[in-house]
Amino acid sequence: MSDVVERTLSALPGLLGQQDPGSGPGGGPGRVSATSRLGGLIRSITALSSKHEEEKLIQQEQTNLKATVSAPTTTLRLMKECMVRLIYCEMLGYESSFGYIHAIKLAQQGNLLEKRVGYLAVSLFLHENHELLLLLVNTVVKDLQSTNLVEVCMALTVVSQIFPREMIPAVLPLIEDKLQHSKEIIRRKAVQALYKFYLIAPNQVQHIHDKFRKALCDRDVGVMAASLHIYLQMIKKNASGYKDLTESFVTILKQVVGGKLPIDFNYHSVPAPWLQIQLLRILGLLGKDDPRTSELMYDVLDESLRRAEINHNITYAILFECVQTIYTICPKSDLLEKAAKCIGKFVRSPKINLKYLGLKALTYVIQQDPNLALQHQMTIIECLDHPDPIIKRETLELLYRITNGQNVTVIVQKMLDYLRQSKEEYTIINLTGKIAELAEKYPFLLLKI
Amino acid sequence: MIKFFLMVNKQGQTRLSRYYEHVEIHKRTMLEAEVIKNCLSRSKEQCSFIEYKDFKLVYRQYAALFIVVGINETENEMAVYELIHNFVEVLDRYFSRVISSNGARSGESTNVPSHSEQGWTKY
Repeated sequence: MSDVVERTLSALPGLLGQQDPGSGPGGGPGRVSATSRLGGLIRSITALSSKHEEEKLIQQEQTNLKATVSAPTTTLRLMKECMVRLIYCEMLGYESSFGYIHAIKLAQQGNLLEKRVGYLAVSLFLHENHELLLLLVNTVVKDLQSTNLVEVCMALTVVSQIFPREMIPAVLPLIEDKLQHSKEIIRRKAVQALYKFYLIAPNQVQHIHDKFRKALCDRDVGVMAASLHIYLQMIKKNASGYKDLTESFVTILKQVVGGKLPIDFNYHSVPAPWLQIQLLRILGLLGKDDPRTSELMYDVLDESLRRAEINHNITYAILFECVQTIYTICPKSDLLEKAAKCIGKFVRSPKINLKYLGLKALTYVIQQDPNLALQHQMTIIECLDHPDPIIKRETLELLYRITNGQNVTVIVQKMLDYLRQSKEEYTIINLTGKIAELAEKYPFLLLKI
Repeated sequence: MIKFFLMVNKQGQTRLSRYYEHVEIHKRTMLEAEVIKNCLSRSKEQCSFIEYKDFKLVYRQYAALFIVVGINETENEMAVYELIHNFVEVLDRYFSRVISSNGARSGESTNVPSHSEQGWTKY
């Protein structure tokens, strides 16, 4: 895999040079090959060895770009090419704020290709509170009403990436309209845009919750998947309002696990794994502390556990999520047993990533099922002295949850040892906090350490 | 939630960066330098999930290139680990035969906030 990536990346400059071969007859100042300039820039940066040289080169490049973008005779085509280089400069950490207004103008005035670069540049340069963002709104409104579907798509994409909160009412009706569009890509992007609105201003989208339900039952998988994001957030806030949708989520998960989705959604022969994970999270939130709702999920959880027996990383991810869901809801005992077996497999695995997952799962379930820790005592003790500090840290986290009068001294001793050789500020603060808590709970500790 | 997505080479040169939360530009370079330092100091036998500040890093190495994703505690680390691999597979598919159509279908099955990167690589 890695040599393929290397080949891909080294082929990139060559590919860039190929896309615009002849500049046509004549070839005036505006007709430079759009892609080769960026390719040349990337090549020259890669060839440099020191940060200082890179700074010099980029600053020179920026002076050129500044002159070009401010010149009144620059064509939009040339502007597009400059914008790409500006994006690259900013990515390397050199601020190019002189180009922001031109990005907006490019999105406003350009043809399809130029508009696309303009929108991309705007979404990368600006941020939520930027003063220039308001200038984008008119362009977006115009493009949303355009008959050209690609323009509509571009406008919706940029709305779902960045949009000023105060102007949401201006575009909300237009986007709601798009929810019923005949093209599924537009419906999907409209859902994503509304998700963004929900994140930045939840009260503004309250009135269209039933439209989200329609999106959930949409015949296109993409639209349905996009609506799951919104549902996850809304259910996190208020699970009881959505219990009636449990059946729908269970049905969708059943269909995914049963392989009813188009084959394109398979990743290494696992059907839509990230979609499964998302659904499992939602089901977990819905079934928490609610036996009746949890009952509806037993079958599909069993099925997911069974289907994920293939030994691939992604099935481990699904299994982890399944286990978490099972322990969150009110499950029946044989599901719990299967989940516990799964955790055991993870913790004992020689693959270090799996061990990490196993420890994380144990930490999550330990309060509900302390026997599990006893079962895997030996492995946990081994992990305490593991060469990898992250595994050690995770084990300490686990042990913190199962402290009692007998083992607290040993556990705190291990935590202090870890503290002595850790240099990470946040870890130190976190661990110190935990030790202080334990010292409060078990005052005799202060005498023993 | 994914906070950022980086592709950095072993020498510390950023090849691609996409931030999903606003981070000041000068802070970005510092973040990238620290992140790559963290990743380079890990060995092959250590796990791919690092705790960094108050969030986590999931990294994957492909020859001389590191792909690092910053996530918060709500994410499933293994799922993000495989997402990185999915991304690389999509890149590989997209570049080894230059197709003009816009729909990278395998991207639709992912459910992360990386909206369709409107041709960042077309240049």
